[in-house]
Amino acid sequence: MKFLKNTFAFVIPLTAMLISFSIYLFSSNILNNYKLTIANDYSIVVVTNTPLIKEDITKLAGIHVERIITLEKDKIITNIKSSLSNSSIELLKRKLPHFYKIKLEVFPTTSELETIKNQLLQNKNIRKVEIFSKNHNSVYLLLLLLSQISFILFNIIAIFSIIMISKQIRIWFYEHHEKITILKLHGASILYSSSTILKYAIFSSLISFLIVSAMFFYLIDNIGVLLPNDLANIVVVSLTLENSLIKIFLLSFGISILTILGVLIKYKMKHD
Amino acid sequence: MIRAKNIYLSYDENKYIIKKGNFSIKEKEFIFIGGTSGSGKSTLLKSFYGDISLKHGSLIIAGQEVFGVKGKPLRHLRKDIGIIFQDYKLIKEWTIEENIMIPLKINGYSHDISKEQAVKLLAHVKLSHRQGYYPNELSGGEQQRVAVARALAHNPKIIIADEPTGNLDDYSADVVWNLLKGANEQLGITVVVVTHRVPKNFGIRFRQLSIEDGIIYEVS
Repeated sequence: MKFLKNTFAFVIPLTAMLISFSIYLFSSNILNNYKLTIANDYSIVVVTNTPLIKEDITKLAGIHVERIITLEKDKIITNIKSSLSNSSIELLKRKLPHFYKIKLEVFPTTSELETIKNQLLQNKNIRKVEIFSKNHNSVYLLLLLLSQISFILFNIIAIFSIIMISKQIRIWFYEHHEKITILKLHGASILYSSSTILKYAIFSSLISFLIVSAMFFYLIDNIGVLLPNDLANIVVVSLTLENSLIKIFLLSFGISILTILGVLIKYKMKHD
Repeated sequence: MIRAKNIYLSYDENKYIIKKGNFSIKEKEFIFIGGTSGSGKSTLLKSFYGDISLKHGSLIIAGQEVFGVKGKPLRHLRKDIGIIFQDYKLIKEWTIEENIMIPLKINGYSHDISKEQAVKLLAHVKLSHRQGYYPNELSGGEQQRVAVARALAHNPKIIIADEPTGNLDDYSADVVWNLLKGANEQLGITVVVVTHRVPKNFGIRFRQLSIEDGIIYEVS
């Protein structure tokens, strides 16, 4: 009973931290998928005096340029053809600047858009840049906000979890102090002497990992359970189960081992 | 086996418990260290296994300098020593054979060999019938016999005993003394015992040191 109580005191904060990490994984994945989706529908229009050397523009604000499409002048003129004479059309053809549509690999943030605009306008050949900032997607910004919040929450929960885990490890060290002392008096190393505590920590980490993995395994294909149907078009999850589980596993055991090492070093300094 | 040169021991800088301690103990000797309560007998013994640091001087135990020893060399030193305490210091949640296995496992013996040796030692201290028992299920005398078995388990060079019969009745005390005598006579282990009461008619040769006001004297 005492063992279970002690184990839960370790498992609960660690599981809470792993759950918050999973939420962060989901939210950032949903955001990335949404970015890719809307990036396909989004482009920046630039107007240049002379034809644009496309090879010169490969990256904008750190985002790779997927392709640059030349907008045909004929198509532009077609729209206003009826109201112009043939001579005017010819003149217009000669005088019209060059139009291009720039497609980016990833949907940029509002600040990135501003950087892109300034970067493009530094090119003296570019006369005008239209970034369609008003059309910039509010859903994207909301998802970005959610992703950031989940990341901040994960960090806060991680800090509290580490404090609670280290407190529980200290309790274990206190409970096993006599045993550790006896083993050390017989020439055992501190790691050997505290092997029972290490086993508790590994066992608890494994339980936390299994709980969160089971939840993750279920949610990865059933995210709709948590969200209303209206969000089905926006929320697309494409997480790789193996990669995500490796991250959760490393976090679970990494935090446990680092915390136990921290407490162990403190204990060694106090009692040696 | 043990050589002390001008050793000073203290828990704080202001008061030395042992002052200018000079003595030597030869291999296979049986030594009693006596003295009044609080004279520093246990403190001296603690210095033998590095549980208290020397302030000054040199103390060599089984060829190893104890002054300033810590970490791996300290662990190595402790592996050469068998320790018996007045309060037995058995791990309560482990069976008595698991307790006897402690020094063997720390010295790198496999579980099976350690177990085999523990069973033999239980027979040696006449506790075979208690195999599988936990320390709390045994009497004080029986627990001290387990502690003796544990001290003998890894065939140490020295056995250090701090008031090993202090909590025992006369019969149990005799059993423990006989086990320690056997370890010294038959196995050739150097035995150093702190006690305020040297048993009468001990039956084997021994030497006695005494501590008074922090000074170590040779009694006999």
